[in-house]
Amino acid sequence: MSTTSSRRGFLTTLAGAAAVLAPSRRASAEPPAVHRWGMVIDLDRCTGCQACAVACRAENNVPDAGPTNTSKGRSIFWMNLLTVSEGEYPVLRQQFFPAPCNHCEDPPCIKVCPVGATTRSSEGIIQQVPERCIGCRLCEVSCPYTRRYFNWSHPEWPEEEREHLNPDVTPRSHGVIEKCLFCHHRIRAAKTAAQADGRSLKDAELRKLPACAQSCPAEAIVFGDLNDPESEVRRLSESPRAFRLLEELGTRPKVFYLREAKWQE
Amino acid sequence: MAGVATAIDLTPETPPVLLDHLDTPTVRFWASLAFLAAGSSALFYGFAQQLLHGHAVTGQGSHGAIWGVVVANIVNFIGISHVGIAISAVVRILQLKKYQQLARLAEFVTLASITVAVMNISMDVGRPERFLFNVVWYGRYHAPFVWSCTVITTYVVGSSVYLYLAMRRDLYLSSVSAPARRPFFRLMSLGYRDTPVTRARHNRVVWWLAVVILPIMVSVHSVYGYIFGVQAGRPGWYNPFQAPYFVLGAIVSGFSTVIMVIAVLRKAFGWEEIFPGRIFKGLGVFLGFVTLLYMYFLFSEYLTGRYASPQAERAVFGDLLFGRFAPFMWSAVLGGMVFPFALLFIQGVNRKVCSIPMTVFAAALINVAMWVTRALIVVPSFYHPMLPWDVAPYTPTFPEWCIVGGSFFMFALLLLILVKTFPVLELPEEHEDDPRQARSQKMPVWKRLVVGGSAVAGLSLVSFGIGHRASPEFFHPPAIWLCGIVTLLSVPFLICVLPERAKTERRAPIRAVPIHIGARRAEVGRYLAVAAPRLAAAPRVGPHR
Repeated sequence: MSTTSSRRGFLTTLAGAAAVLAPSRRASAEPPAVHRWGMVIDLDRCTGCQACAVACRAENNVPDAGPTNTSKGRSIFWMNLLTVSEGEYPVLRQQFFPAPCNHCEDPPCIKVCPVGATTRSSEGIIQQVPERCIGCRLCEVSCPYTRRYFNWSHPEWPEEEREHLNPDVTPRSHGVIEKCLFCHHRIRAAKTAAQADGRSLKDAELRKLPACAQSCPAEAIVFGDLNDPESEVRRLSESPRAFRLLEELGTRPKVFYLREAKWQE
Repeated sequence: MAGVATAIDLTPETPPVLLDHLDTPTVRFWASLAFLAAGSSALFYGFAQQLLHGHAVTGQGSHGAIWGVVVANIVNFIGISHVGIAISAVVRILQLKKYQQLARLAEFVTLASITVAVMNISMDVGRPERFLFNVVWYGRYHAPFVWSCTVITTYVVGSSVYLYLAMRRDLYLSSVSAPARRPFFRLMSLGYRDTPVTRARHNRVVWWLAVVILPIMVSVHSVYGYIFGVQAGRPGWYNPFQAPYFVLGAIVSGFSTVIMVIAVLRKAFGWEEIFPGRIFKGLGVFLGFVTLLYMYFLFSEYLTGRYASPQAERAVFGDLLFGRFAPFMWSAVLGGMVFPFALLFIQGVNRKVCSIPMTVFAAALINVAMWVTRALIVVPSFYHPMLPWDVAPYTPTFPEWCIVGGSFFMFALLLLILVKTFPVLELPEEHEDDPRQARSQKMPVWKRLVVGGSAVAGLSLVSFGIGHRASPEFFHPPAIWLCGIVTLLSVPFLICVLPERAKTERRAPIRAVPIHIGARRAEVGRYLAVAAPRLAAAPRVGPHR
């Protein structure tokens, strides 16, 4: 090896080291994401049957907490039904809110996570890495919607349910946080299928992609790409009936609710 | 160096009581050690329960109290740790001679309680085995938990250096005159030589360290305020006031703990003359003052929360003032703040009243009330989530109480071990050093290079870590800046501890012609005063070599 080339090699290494050591400002300049996943839940269609919550448990291997832990508020629900009562007894109205994670644009949970166990994907999904999580529960505390769940005990399933665990989703161990991920394994599968066929994702195949949307008998839950101006979820999210939970906090959820009458918190 | 060793001949002047507690442990010591160790085992029992069965053994829940009494306990012990260094630094900076003997005891309180607090944190998280490594290695700069990790590390390292340097002379003296374990003290004093130059250098370094440590100490508890104060999603917490509020609470609970600790130790070791009643009275006056201030803060918070604020805030504070938490809250405020304040006020304004039992009783009440207040900061917010979820009521379970109770035993155990291992009381200096002699000698070049190098290395590590805060997966910035902080804090340690050849007096012979003392009549007295102890010591010391 000649001196020149080794010197060049050395200089290249130096330049590389300098580039690595210099504070990088490239992080902010990532290209705009193709997709921005969102969900619309039509409360005027919802019957409160809880099929979404059941389907979600089965799809995502959510463990069975048992009666004692459930009475202590330790049961895990990636999709839960929030029941809101309006008015006094003679004129009482109840409203069910199917409540997945809101996948906020500006979520408080990511800021407080000390170890980066929860991050926002380039497509807007708030992810959770159970293997990184230390279980400090700060994210759970900071979530104004209480849409994050701590594993208070070792995950357990009834014998008959254990045979039906979903192989696509890893069960989580005790002592970590878990949450709704918009069935990202299904999104990934759909993307792979589309890629294999050499086409882009179609709105029709996305509409009922997550387990909750697929199982909804009233077709109240619509999933899709908010970046796609043609998508149904985009159209519905711009409807005059649309609103989001706790909008005054400025978290900008990507889950929209539709209701004719104004909802009072 | 024989001359130096004999120059601090302690036996005649030092009251023997100052080093008595370092004597070979007696049966009484082993008995109390065994008792406290047995109590501390409760801490590990609770921890083991959580580890084996998950946090389901506690009373907490996702739709319930997400944090419980253990978090209140963490805040409590962080608060207590706050005050040790505060007392010590204030005593040093303001030169409060009256409280000098309190300083090191208070520093031991700091070390013991911050250890217990960190143990509590690692027991409260769901995954203790990855907790420390992940926070240091993958830490995100925007997370309050990482701030807390940073300030606690700074605080622990800084106060250990501070404690060591302030104690080094006494360790050395113990290696000469302690009743037992002299080799241990010789090892611990790391080659200290008791010369005016070293004394002056230690005093100066420790003074500056005290100045640096005071803001660090404020930051430690402020961060705990921020952990709650930045949560917009929890009514009752979101409050810019949280940080000063927590700092004040820390001062209150820390002072009351220090009062109780001194009261126990003065009985145990026979230190009645060293900590006389007037010290308790002075501390009591200050404790009463900060308690009053804390009540004012509480009032202000409750008024703001209840007046015409958002619905969620009103619900939380309504629950606290008139609802299910009212019995705890009112008994804490009336029995644990107003009543002890009245006791301390009576003692403070009345010349004739100076009662140690009363001060200690008031301090104990305040301590309990502060603990309850912390629990009332943590828990009620969880009863009123922003969305109307059903909330499971929170009752702390046996393992949680084990952790809380065991923490207090652990604290006492650590404190006992520290007190029995190291000299607690400052040994008096024989006389004021002649400022000419104490003039600091220049450090040799190699030492200046080492010290300056550590300072530069520390600063650059810290700035490198902060500069690369945005890429935590690649650079692990918290690990870098923590290394930098430790390196920076090693600077005062190096300045004092690195050996240095004692320079022989190369000062020019003072005067060839003896001064005619009569020429400066005004200074005769001073000359005599300076010379007297040396003249008296001369026959004992023998000729210098």
